[in-house]
Amino acid sequence: MIQLEHYLYLSGLVFTLGLCGVMMRRNVILVLMGVEIMLNAANLALIAFNKYMLPIDGIVEPKGQVFVFFTIAVAAAEVAVALVIAVALFRRLDTVNVDDVANLRW
Amino acid sequence: MELPFFFLFGGAMVLFTLLTMFVKNPVHSAIFMILSFASTAGLFVLLDAYLMAAIEVLVYAGAIMVLFLFVIMLINLRSDELEGMKVNPLMVLAAGTFFALLHRAISDLGAAVDPVRANTFEGEPKVVAKYLFTEMVIPFEAVSLLLLAAILGTVVLARRTRDA
Repeated sequence: MIQLEHYLYLSGLVFTLGLCGVMMRRNVILVLMGVEIMLNAANLALIAFNKYMLPIDGIVEPKGQVFVFFTIAVAAAEVAVALVIAVALFRRLDTVNVDDVANLRW
Repeated sequence: MELPFFFLFGGAMVLFTLLTMFVKNPVHSAIFMILSFASTAGLFVLLDAYLMAAIEVLVYAGAIMVLFLFVIMLINLRSDELEGMKVNPLMVLAAGTFFALLHRAISDLGAAVDPVRANTFEGEPKVVAKYLFTEMVIPFEAVSLLLLAAILGTVVLARRTRDA
């Protein structure tokens, strides 16, 4: 019997893997992919919560699914802007290594 | 019936995520990420979220990953730049601590959810669409504005300026 906990542990594991990728990879594009994986893991948790939600007045509204719909739309917008920033970075500095882009660090 | 499919799709999701994050070549990473999103779509079907499974495949595995592949192609890394992983013990510690906190949170889940299941949840597209277009119209329109802003932003950022 699959329970809510199974989905939450799976989601947490994938989120942690994405976090590891964001911290360990040095390529800007791979860092972005890690962020996408973390968003996706959160989506899985939202949909699992939606299915196991207690009904209010006998009905369960698909709130989690609609929330995931919005998350995906926002992720699409975010990826478009972030990838353009990566391209602009490459044009200007000729690198996509995050260690070489430390102008704002003190 | 749910159990073998959960372990199939869940195992595939974890495996392909691992490969995405720790494979050297960014193009291979992108391909593995598409597979990871496909397994997530399978899990969404198991959770009765059929519309979201379709959107996951269309938008994530389709549109977003094509964008990633295009940018990887545009940037065209030299082979000496492919190696790029910096592992610091602190990072492993941070990830481990994060997962431990998540475990703590999951293990004392409140009474807001039904842990065993299962009410008569209906997740078919008709129900979701009705909810989306009645109670969530304003956020829906706001998202369209956000997408418009993102389009304008990308055009402005991608334009070559003369002084650059």
